[in-house]
Formats: sequence, structure tokens, C-alpha cells
Amino acid sequence: MYYNTYMKKHKQLIWDGIFTLVTLLFLFAVNLFIEIVFDTRTLIPMIFVLGVFLVSLKTQGYFWGITASLLSVLAVNYAFTFPYYAFDLISPECIFSAVVMLIVAVMTGTLTTQLKAQEKIKSESEMERMRANLLRAVSHDLRTPLTSIYGSTSAVIENYDTLSKEQNLKLLGDVQKDSQWLIHMVENLLSVTRIDSNKVKVNKTPVVLEELIDSVLVKFKKRCPEQAVIVEIPEQFISIPMDPILIEQVLLNLLENAVFHAKDMTELMLKVDTHESFAVFSVLDNGCGIHPDVKDRLFSGYISRSDTPTDGSRNNMGIGLSVCSTIVNAHGGTIHGENREEGGAIFYFKLKMEDKNE
Amino acid sequence: MSNKYKILVIEDENNIRNFIETVLSANDYQTLSASTCEQGLLMYASHIPDLVMLDLGLPDRDGIEFIQNIRQTDTTPIIVLSARTGEKDKIEALDLGANDYITKPFGTGELLARVRATLRNNRPGSGSGSLPGEKFTLYDLTIDYDRRIVYMKDEEIKLTQTEYNILALLSYHTGKVMTYASIIKEIWGCSDDGSIKKLQVNMANIRKKLGSKPGDNQYIINELGVGYRMNEENL
Repeated sequence: MYYNTYMKKHKQLIWDGIFTLVTLLFLFAVNLFIEIVFDTRTLIPMIFVLGVFLVSLKTQGYFWGITASLLSVLAVNYAFTFPYYAFDLISPECIFSAVVMLIVAVMTGTLTTQLKAQEKIKSESEMERMRANLLRAVSHDLRTPLTSIYGSTSAVIENYDTLSKEQNLKLLGDVQKDSQWLIHMVENLLSVTRIDSNKVKVNKTPVVLEELIDSVLVKFKKRCPEQAVIVEIPEQFISIPMDPILIEQVLLNLLENAVFHAKDMTELMLKVDTHESFAVFSVLDNGCGIHPDVKDRLFSGYISRSDTPTDGSRNNMGIGLSVCSTIVNAHGGTIHGENREEGGAIFYFKLKMEDKNE
Repeated sequence: MSNKYKILVIEDENNIRNFIETVLSANDYQTLSASTCEQGLLMYASHIPDLVMLDLGLPDRDGIEFIQNIRQTDTTPIIVLSARTGEKDKIEALDLGANDYITKPFGTGELLARVRATLRNNRPGSGSGSLPGEKFTLYDLTIDYDRRIVYMKDEEIKLTQTEYNILALLSYHTGKVMTYASIIKEIWGCSDDGSIKKLQVNMANIRKKLGSKPGDNQYIINELGVGYRMNEENL
């Protein structure tokens, strides 16, 4: 990890240096050209000020801006002021132009540094907002099953002898169902913590598509045994770099969502296509589709219970989808949810496949 | 009474230990319990259990140390209880000699199935190869170890040498997760960067030849990111 950041810094430094050099050389050439064609030198300092400004804007910190300003002063002094093609560093003209260039470099540097800091704060507060939303949605959704578990177990313990065997089993069955729901919910939350929030990056390993889909289907069958899934995946051997546990979670969430929310669904389909160097994963159903009211904030974690039909079924749609979105983003993609023309909804996202030549 | 299997449960969470012990003793196993690694080692030395169920996150020491300690001298089967997030821990534990793992949270069915499978696999003589004339059967699949031929419903399946070796290896350890690294070591002897890919491609071919489809894979179970496991009936 340290090595990586070190390399990154190193790379950035080299890149900035090259940028500075190329910009200055280019402007130097432009100046020579102007001097020959228009036979004037009035534009020269201006063009170098522009160069210093550009370098300070595009590079990190102050170092390259200041370097560029000093080089510009030297260049002007050497090539474009009397005595030509020789240095004369003690003339007041030279010192004055150097000071002006330095001021431009330092001020531009300060401004861009501030700008970058502001952008960072903005993205951090965005992340913070997302977490707050998630937390709100979660604590709200956790209370219900916990209340039911607490109530049911208390009822069994306090009335063990007076309740019939069936009543006891019924209450314990409810406890089991609620705890299973809680387990799914916590798994979702754990998934989010697996993503390193600072780098928004995941640990990728090459995963065989067929094995991933197999694992998803086996788990799905355990959770929703009565729901059949139509599977369409490419025949050939496909390997995709990903965090398998997380992508598995995304696909499970999407499939479960369809089961819980797509009313009157008769067909549920999990499909993977290849498109150029990408694998496109889609989950399609032919149920009631996505309600227009919630369409815009599907992935925001902001869908509360009141937005969804109150048929008594518990849902974790808001959290599930926002987790999906976070995971796919961390893999460098975006997840989309739309209504299909033929009815029902489609959710899809794409991941880059492994290079075949590797 | 005395010929019951003895199972040592090392787990620091009282409630989980309680529930595991209840389930095990209700199913005719004798249970011993410990809540720290230190206590576990003591119990192990004085009772010599037939199986150890080990939680990796113990308060005093890492459960991994317990495995290392035991494996220096004994081959007593160890089942690791692991939290969902750590494939790395799972792989490390398996490669150090743990026999299997169960991911928390788990149900009683899964728990008992793993215990049965692990105890069966560790009867003397099993797990280390095949006896002359021995055959492996699972649903429609039959492996004739002597003739190195695999049948599906009496029809011969053409496998390459490597494919046969992988399938036979998994079948020797039925019910046990074999990590990628351990399969590669057994089949190719050494490993390089392309080994996992080579194994994955071979597995894809085996699946195709056995007629397994995603979601309907009754012979070889994928443990994503960890390895493969030969299925057992009634698991």
C-alpha cells in the first residue's frame, strides 16, 4: 500500500516535470517564431507569464510553478533581451521581471491549491451524506425485526407452559425468519465496510463468470426456493477481476428485490452478455416495474417504508440498492435501473473483463 | 456412552458456544468447551477429542496459533468457525491444516453436516488415496480409481490426465474444501502466476463434461475465492 502511494507520488512528480518542460519549450518556440515573423518582442514576456500560469494551474504544489517562472526569466534574459544569447542577470529589468513571474506563480499556486482542497471537502461531505442516509435507513429498518424477536421470545419464555406446542413453534418460527432477515441486512452493511472508503477501491481477483453465477444461484435458491430463475450466460470461459463476495451480493440483492417488489412477476431472468471488453450483468423481471415516484432516488438509500406498497412484506430495497450502487461504483462502473418496454424492470451494470492475452 | 465422538468447542461467545453444544449433544456427541485458546490447548491435551471446532477470533490468542500448535503433532480434524468477511483467514487456516470451515451465521443443519463429513473423512485410511478396487459414487457419477475411468450413468466420460487427477483428488476429500493452492500443489507440484487460471480452465472443462450448469452443480461446489469442494449426498 505504501509502495503504491509512493509510486503514485513519484509518477505525478515525473508527469508534472515533463508537463512543465514541454510547456516552456513550446512557448519558447512560439516566441522565436513570433520574433522572426512579426519582428517584435513586446509579446514575449506576456507569453511566458501565460506559461507560468498554465504550469502552476496544472501541476501539484508550488514547486513546478516557481521553477517555470525562474526558467522563463532565464529564457527571456538569455534569448530575447540585450545582450542576445548571453545571460545578464544583474540588470534591474531582469530582477523586476523575475519578481513579477514569481508572484504570478505563487498566487496561481495558492488559488489552485485552495480549489483542490475545496473539491476534496465537497466529495468528503458527499460521502458523509451517503453514510448518514444509509445509517438512517438502517436503524429504521432494524427496529422492526428486533421488536418482533424480543416480543416473541419473551412471550415464549414467560408463557412456556400455557402456550400450546403449535403456538410456541409459530412464535419461534417468526423469530427465525426475522433473524434471517437481519442476517441479510447485516451482510449488506458488512459489504459496504469492505470497501475502503478513502480510496473507494476493492480487492480484485480474477473470477470465473460461471462459478460466480453458480454461487449466486445456489445462495438464491436457499433464500427463495420457490422462485425459478432463467439464466443466460455466454458459453466461453470468461474471467473478470472483481471482489467476488461483493458482486455476488449485488446480484443477490437485485434478484431478491425482484422477488419482493416486482408484483405479478412470472419470469425472473439473470443475464450476462459480453460487449467489447465488458461483461454486462442484467437482472430482468416482468412484474409491475419501477414506480415513477421512486425512480429518481432508487439508489440513494432514501426510499422509506411509506413509499412502498404496504402489503405487510418487509423490504430493504432502499438499503439493498444503495449498497449495490456503492459496490458497483467501487468497481469502476455504474448501476442503472429502468422500466422495460414490454413491462417489468431491468437493472444492469458492466464490469471490465480480463485481458484475453494475459 | 464412552464410544461417542468427543468434540471440543473453542469459542469465546457464550451464546454461540451454548447453541453449538446443545445441538451437538442433542445429536449424540459428547462435547467439551473452552472459551480461550489457552484453555482450549489444555482441554485438548487432557481429553484428546475426536474433533475440534475453533473460532478464529479468540480473546487471548489468534485461533491460527492453535491450529499450528496442534498440527505439529496431531492430525485431529479441526473445523474453523469464521466470520464472513475474511476469505484470507479461511484460506490461511485451511492451508495450515484446518479441515473445513463454517461461515457465521450458520444453521444447525449445516453444522451437523460438516461435523459428520469431517469425522467420516478422518477415519483411519480415508482421505489419503484409494484402496485397490475402490470406487467413488455420487448420484450419477462413478470414479473407478483402478482403471482411472469416470462414468456418468454407466457412460464413460473422456477426461484428460489433469482433469482426472483433479476430480480424483476432490473425491478423495469428499465434503472438504480444497483451497486453490492445495489443489495446485497436489496436481502440478509447483505453482506460478498462471496456476490458478490453469486450474480454473480445467475446472470449467470438467464441469462441462459432467454436464453441470450454473445453479445446478451437484458434484463440485464452488467456494468463491477459496477453492472447490466435492459434494456429498444429503448435505
